[in-house]
Amino acid sequence: MKQEKVQAGTVLVDVKGISKSFPGVKALSNVDLTIRAGEVHALTGENGSGKSTLSKVIAGMHRPDTGTIRIDGELCELENPADAIERGIVMISQELTLAPTLTVAENIFMGRLPKSSWGKINWSKLNADAVQVLDRLNVHVSPTALVSDLSIELQQEIEIARALSTDARLLILDEATSSLSEAATKRLLELVVQERDQGMAVLMITHRMPEIYAVSSVATVLRDGSLISTVPIPQTTEEQLVKLMVGRELGDYYSKQEIAQGELVLDVKGLTAENGAFDPADLVLRRGEILGLAGLAGSGKSEFAQALGGAIAAHGQVRVADKAMALGDPRATIKAGVGYVPDDRKGSAILPVRDISENFAMAWMDRLTSKGLISLRRQKSEVASAIQDYGVVTSSADALISTLSGGNQQKIVLGRIFRRKPDVLILNEPTRGVDVGAKTEIYKMLQQAANEGAGIIVISSELPEILGISDRIAVFFEGRIVAEFDGPTADEEAIAHAAVAGAKRANPPAKTANETEV
Amino acid sequence: MSTQSTSGGFGALVRRIFRSRYAGALISLVLVSVFLSLYQPVFLTWPNIMNIVKSNSVGFILAIGATFVVISGTVDLSFGSATTASAMAFGLLLVAGTPLPLAVLGAIFAGFVLGAINGYLVAYAKISFFVVTLGTLSIFQSVALVVNSGTSVSVFSVPGFSALNQFVNGNIGPVPVLLVFNIVLFLIAGGVLRFTAFGRSLYAIGSNIEAARLNGINVKRVLLIVFIISGLSAGLASVVQVGRLTVASPNVDMNLLLTVLAAVLIGGTAMTGGEGGVLGTMIGMLFLGVVQNGLTLSSVSSFWQGTLSGSILILSVWLGGIRGVLRAQKQKKTE
Repeated sequence: MKQEKVQAGTVLVDVKGISKSFPGVKALSNVDLTIRAGEVHALTGENGSGKSTLSKVIAGMHRPDTGTIRIDGELCELENPADAIERGIVMISQELTLAPTLTVAENIFMGRLPKSSWGKINWSKLNADAVQVLDRLNVHVSPTALVSDLSIELQQEIEIARALSTDARLLILDEATSSLSEAATKRLLELVVQERDQGMAVLMITHRMPEIYAVSSVATVLRDGSLISTVPIPQTTEEQLVKLMVGRELGDYYSKQEIAQGELVLDVKGLTAENGAFDPADLVLRRGEILGLAGLAGSGKSEFAQALGGAIAAHGQVRVADKAMALGDPRATIKAGVGYVPDDRKGSAILPVRDISENFAMAWMDRLTSKGLISLRRQKSEVASAIQDYGVVTSSADALISTLSGGNQQKIVLGRIFRRKPDVLILNEPTRGVDVGAKTEIYKMLQQAANEGAGIIVISSELPEILGISDRIAVFFEGRIVAEFDGPTADEEAIAHAAVAGAKRANPPAKTANETEV
Repeated sequence: MSTQSTSGGFGALVRRIFRSRYAGALISLVLVSVFLSLYQPVFLTWPNIMNIVKSNSVGFILAIGATFVVISGTVDLSFGSATTASAMAFGLLLVAGTPLPLAVLGAIFAGFVLGAINGYLVAYAKISFFVVTLGTLSIFQSVALVVNSGTSVSVFSVPGFSALNQFVNGNIGPVPVLLVFNIVLFLIAGGVLRFTAFGRSLYAIGSNIEAARLNGINVKRVLLIVFIISGLSAGLASVVQVGRLTVASPNVDMNLLLTVLAAVLIGGTAMTGGEGGVLGTMIGMLFLGVVQNGLTLSSVSSFWQGTLSGSILILSVWLGGIRGVLRAQKQKKTE
């Protein structure tokens, strides 16, 4: 691979005075950003702060209304992503853009397949080139494997391999870790460091603090489309950074309260999914209790939640408030008093082309209907009070849900379930893709529901979140619950160890000696 | 929105119409009508307009059913064949001496059964709606041919014919019975879509079927009912068709498939599901009917009609996309 190496510290991309408006929002106003070679630059802020828009401007996907972009000191007009790629700017977003039915090598060199005579594809060169790129990333996968046969983590690495194979000089990672497990995230961050040390500039869009502190040396904070500050890392503390992002003190981030636990509300015996994603599992939950489920992607924790929520076919005995619940049918689950919120907001939770009102009301159909007719007046008043109660920021209940930020969408998705006052709540990644401000509000919703007597199971890939909100933590590993921890006294490393190794540490360090086995 | 338009008066109502999904079809309908009334004096006469209504009634009834299907995010390709099969059932029942009301019920029941077959295969056997209705398109057509060895059934001389003729060609005062019937059908369909749990579930399923399922909507049952509605509308349409042609023909009118789906799509119901309604469909159907009438009045060969309605379909869906972009830009300016 030929790659023009620039001396570390040289300004690679210099963005000045960028403004960009979309219908209804000023996404960016007068933002400056300087990206240097050999540097990981974190771009952070709440959802809706404009960080994705800014990165898309740099990657040629949006054209700014005003402002200039200089690459290597030269004024550039980026008409489209191809222009940016030509100048060595490559963006990887959280949504993968691979063709699953093609091979790894074909995906890496998509649109640039090496040809031999008569336009025939030179397969041996293609595969050899692919191996070279993969080796550089230390990824061991056959270039002729089909992408659809790979795990999500590997697919993400193929995406990165493609970026690197294009002589990229600036790699933009747009929330690239949001769908990755802790281990895969760690691996991605190692790659970032490796490429940085080779002189690559990296712009990392994230609101995950551990990532920012792990690899970046400078962070730019945006809020409401404006540049708040560019600060050095790690000289700026996490608390200061969060304050810059949110623009106010966060108070107690997780709003964790002491809630007295009541009677047994959920009793799971030998639950297993028909797709075999996890082994028969037992679990109990009390009223007022918040149980966190941790584990890597693919450990079975998400499928366990789906099975309990009726989203997938399953076998076993599940009793809710001492009554048996039928499995594999969401209608039965709802009737039994279980509320399930899926992890894939876009794919299985919201009605994107419908308004806020209908997105709330779809979960209350039975309560709003008599004799098959829906009471639009009751719907209107119930929706108005739900918007108020859950702090959904919108000008009108008639706005399409897809015009709202991820945080506001999620408040609706959670709120419509919470409002039914279920005995048990199964929340699969409830704060995924949600900004810091909305997260605190969601944590408050959780505490309130627990206070009102619900038993809550939260599945999350973010360990700090699990630690912050759980009374008890169970860890999944290869389809089994391998360890349980007491929430308030658990420590992040011990949980991470159980998630990776499948068992508690044999000799826990002194500070975690008070973990209680349950 | 609805409270705004009542309080804001006429201006608000106009704004609301211009923002609606059927705005393009409505504006086109008005423009074409103005043009035709200037150049074809016959156009803007009561008999001519009522003729447009009557000759598009079969398509309109089918389009009401198709609107439900398209909102649910599926498509029924078989309604033309189902209409033909129901028409044969209707014709044979009449010829066999069945009283007209019973024969009508028989035709509707035939449509119901055909719709239920589609619905069961799509909702419960989980076969792709495209495959199922492409298959039944062929099957229903074949059944229609088999039942009377491929020959038409004339109902001209059956005892109930005068009543049937009164239904499809008669008037109540100056108003055709069919127009009244169509309006009642339209009101019922609009009411079902807006005010019933079934109607709201339909939009939810069309917008995101998995979200609908997880929130306790009985997706299978709703889809079954949707295809039954399509079948029922085929049954109803077959009665009107046989009445107007005075014969039950075993050959499928292939134009119906295009015209009906075009009316639904031109009327702003999204092919991807979850959006739209019968008001748009009615406007879309009227627009196509007016265009066709204009061609006839201008003595343009009917061979051109397919070219025109096909082009209108493509153009209107394209313009619908442009409308979204324009609206976005306008909003941007006002910010």
